[in-house]
Amino acid sequence: MKLSVQREDLLQPLSKILGVVERRQTLPMLANVLCETGPEGLRLTATDLEVELRAERPLEGLAPGALTLPARKLHDICRALPEESEIHIEASEGRATVRSGRSRFTLSTQPAAEFPRLELDAGTAALRLPVPVLLELIERTHFAMAHQDVRYYLNGLLLEILPDRVVAVATDGHRLALAEAPLATGQEEPRQVIVPRKGVQELLRLLGPEEGEAHLQLTENHIRITLPGLQFTSKLIDGRFPDYRRVIPRDNDKRLVADRESLRQSLGRTSILSNEKYRGIRLSLSPGSLKIQAHNPEQEEAEEELGVEFEGPPLDIGFNVTYLLDALDALEGEKVRIELSDPNSSCLIRAAEGNSAEYVVMPMRL
Amino acid sequence: MRYRAALTPGTRLRYTCPMPIRTLPPQLVDQIAAGEVVERPASVVKELVENSLDAGARTIEVHVEGGGCRLIRVTDDGLGIPREELLLALSRHATSKIASLDDLEQVASLGFRGEALPSIASVSRLRLVSRIQDASHAWAVSGDGSGRWEGPAPAAHPPGTTVEVRDLFFNTPARRKFLRTEATEFRHVEDVLRRLAMGWPRVAWQLRHNRRMVWTLQAADTPAAEVARLGRLLGEAFPAQAFHLRTEAGGLLLHGWVARPAYTRRQPDQQFFFVNGRSVRDRLVAHAVRQAFQDVLAHGRHPAYVLFLELDPAEVDVNVHPAKHEVRFREQRRVHDFLFRSLQRALAEPGPAQAAAIRAARAAPEAGARPGGTAASRAAAPGQAVLSFPAVRESLAHYERLYGGPERAAEAPVAEASLPVPGTAPPGTPGEEDAPLGHALAQLHGIYLLAENREGLVIVDMHAAHERITYERLKAAWAGEGLALQPLLVPLTLAVAPHEADLVEEAQETFRALGLELDRVGPDRLRVRQVPALLAGADVAALVRDVIADVAALGDSRRVQEHIDALLATMACHGAVRAHRRLTREEMDALLRDMERTERSGQCNHGRPTWRQVTLEELDRLFRRGR
Repeated sequence: MKLSVQREDLLQPLSKILGVVERRQTLPMLANVLCETGPEGLRLTATDLEVELRAERPLEGLAPGALTLPARKLHDICRALPEESEIHIEASEGRATVRSGRSRFTLSTQPAAEFPRLELDAGTAALRLPVPVLLELIERTHFAMAHQDVRYYLNGLLLEILPDRVVAVATDGHRLALAEAPLATGQEEPRQVIVPRKGVQELLRLLGPEEGEAHLQLTENHIRITLPGLQFTSKLIDGRFPDYRRVIPRDNDKRLVADRESLRQSLGRTSILSNEKYRGIRLSLSPGSLKIQAHNPEQEEAEEELGVEFEGPPLDIGFNVTYLLDALDALEGEKVRIELSDPNSSCLIRAAEGNSAEYVVMPMRL
Repeated sequence: MRYRAALTPGTRLRYTCPMPIRTLPPQLVDQIAAGEVVERPASVVKELVENSLDAGARTIEVHVEGGGCRLIRVTDDGLGIPREELLLALSRHATSKIASLDDLEQVASLGFRGEALPSIASVSRLRLVSRIQDASHAWAVSGDGSGRWEGPAPAAHPPGTTVEVRDLFFNTPARRKFLRTEATEFRHVEDVLRRLAMGWPRVAWQLRHNRRMVWTLQAADTPAAEVARLGRLLGEAFPAQAFHLRTEAGGLLLHGWVARPAYTRRQPDQQFFFVNGRSVRDRLVAHAVRQAFQDVLAHGRHPAYVLFLELDPAEVDVNVHPAKHEVRFREQRRVHDFLFRSLQRALAEPGPAQAAAIRAARAAPEAGARPGGTAASRAAAPGQAVLSFPAVRESLAHYERLYGGPERAAEAPVAEASLPVPGTAPPGTPGEEDAPLGHALAQLHGIYLLAENREGLVIVDMHAAHERITYERLKAAWAGEGLALQPLLVPLTLAVAPHEADLVEEAQETFRALGLELDRVGPDRLRVRQVPALLAGADVAALVRDVIADVAALGDSRRVQEHIDALLATMACHGAVRAHRRLTREEMDALLRDMERTERSGQCNHGRPTWRQVTLEELDRLFRRGR
């Protein structure tokens, strides 16, 4: 097959989907990207057998055809070529030639028919939601996903579709992040799916801040999200996510309200001298004031004091500072509210106004 | 399926059913019993020599022919057996070593079952000659394996006993078929005798094979003589690399020699452990030793040691195995802990100090023999006392304060994982004449550091040494931190065997001390509710399973500590100076001083040696000086 295309028309969709191609492969085909051409234009597909990404570019005058090319090498070549150059690709007998101006590259290729595709079973649910809403749901929760945990169902993001809202939840067993978006979903039955970690990370790269609509399709084993010019398909984690509602403390009676930015900066400074492995810090609360302390094995110490709204008996509690910082970073609003009960029970962090996102953090016994 | 036909019940019945039940003839009983005790000539030697030792012998001569198959003769100068007891000694379950159950519970002698002599007698032609200390002559009895005895007849023999065992297994062809070549059987005899000789340093030994003297050992009364004797038995490399150890606590005494971790073996063939003088191969002991070496041993290597554990005989049950290879301790966990802690502490002593200790022990017997004018006397004349400066002692005390032990380490200021700078060494150190690792000369190819000390040249692997120093510092610092605990927001549920879940319920305290909080949520399910914060990212399920297995076997577990140590080792490796980093003389000297006061500094975290000594003698040999 033959393909002639502008550098940008190839590079831009290619870089969108490149992330899913693993650097090291046991299956050589997975290092390749599938290029298909037709009357609608150019379509690129990459997969790691769990997540499939597809980017489309409407182009005119392309003859129908298909071939696979080493994705990362093709990307590096396109990027290194001068802007707006014309790229010609021609494939024959296991080799593909990429030409542009006076450059010429011969790449290996594999039969397009052997490229693995994720086949979707019949859809069971479909809904539409604005891209910024989806992006916000993920951005506010994704960092709390577990990483290679034996509880495989934690290595992903829970999406719960309720009749009146969509909820995203992630936890690594030490802390939990939850975000909600009120939305008439048109779904009668609540539905829970777990999107694997890698899928979530790829999705985050695809979602831009631009307005638009995402079309969400759920089947028994897959989730497909169609964005303008892009399609994301991922297998689902087959497991039961822990009941997150039981984990969120609802009757913590000690409330602390602080300026989010100054609390974040104080914690950031104190954390420099916290134990570099488990990052423990100690919060000492007394009426109107919060003292933050950290020390490391070398016996170096950091201490900060911060004026906060707090009433009630003094309280000492330890935390992994990373968990607190993650939550404060993901929140919005000027003020943050932290609800506590005792040094051994979890705390709830949320914006002082509005309730779109909530974070539960387990304390640490220092 | 064909083999099944042969195993149908009918076939088996044909062999067992037609014979009536009857009592076996005594000779057959003896022969069956002999199967347990007497496996090969070496076991005969062991039983006979143990009898000699129990009789208080000071000199024991063993003479074997044909690997012990033709003749085994053991002669001692012990108490001897009176004439009227000679025949009794040869009958089953007759012994002078115990008389009641109380005695059995605290056996202090090596034998006690009263089985060895009749068992041996039933499978060989045995002759027993004995003379008690003040008798005018000896008496002898001899038998031909059939249970009939000739004698006692008068015989000539110095005070003591001789047992002659000829033609072993002549009447049990099945056993004879399993005997190996003469050389192999003799090797086993030698091995048995080597263990016994190590366990009884105060006894003089002779071993002859086919009339040829194999080894003669004098009774060793001093530690130096014992070391020399170990050299004869295990090869010179062992005592050169071993250090002496002696610790006592709560009625347990452990002493002996342990090879520095730099001297390890591919096989566990130089591991000798004696409980009250009895050589044993015990799982509990092996485990304690392995754990003590865990931090300093390269993967797949085995430590070498000769260790003696002495305790109240009532605390240990030796009546577990007919050949008494295994023992059972009444307080398993205490013994395990004691062994582990004693060894770990001994291994932790700064490397060069160990070497110095063993050199001191070896120097004593050799001092007189050393010819004048060689390199050694150039370095320092033996016997010449070294001026000791008060500053040196003071700084040593300072080190002790600083690095006294993990429990005190919390107060110690701990530097970041950085190279030691000259300023950190307390005053007085640089002027010290006698620094065990000497003074830095130069750096070789950016990898090795060369230094000069009294013995000659010291070569240090810079990265390995600094890695160990950093690691030990991290360990001390983190031990002072206390264990930070991370309760889990989403507890981890774990399937285990029901008996493991029972154990977890019983040993809650043990687990809590390790930072693990486990709840039982079903007959075979556990819920992990809290883990040490450092290990929050580790595979908690696998860790908990390992810990349970340890607690089940030993009552305690060091897994959590081992995991934490592994983490710190990785941190230390990244924090240590890399090869090709140029060091100034001051930095090198500071590194040497740090090594001298760091625990286990003889090995890097992976068990490789960090430094080597090349003595002046070795250098002289290279250049053929002084010949």
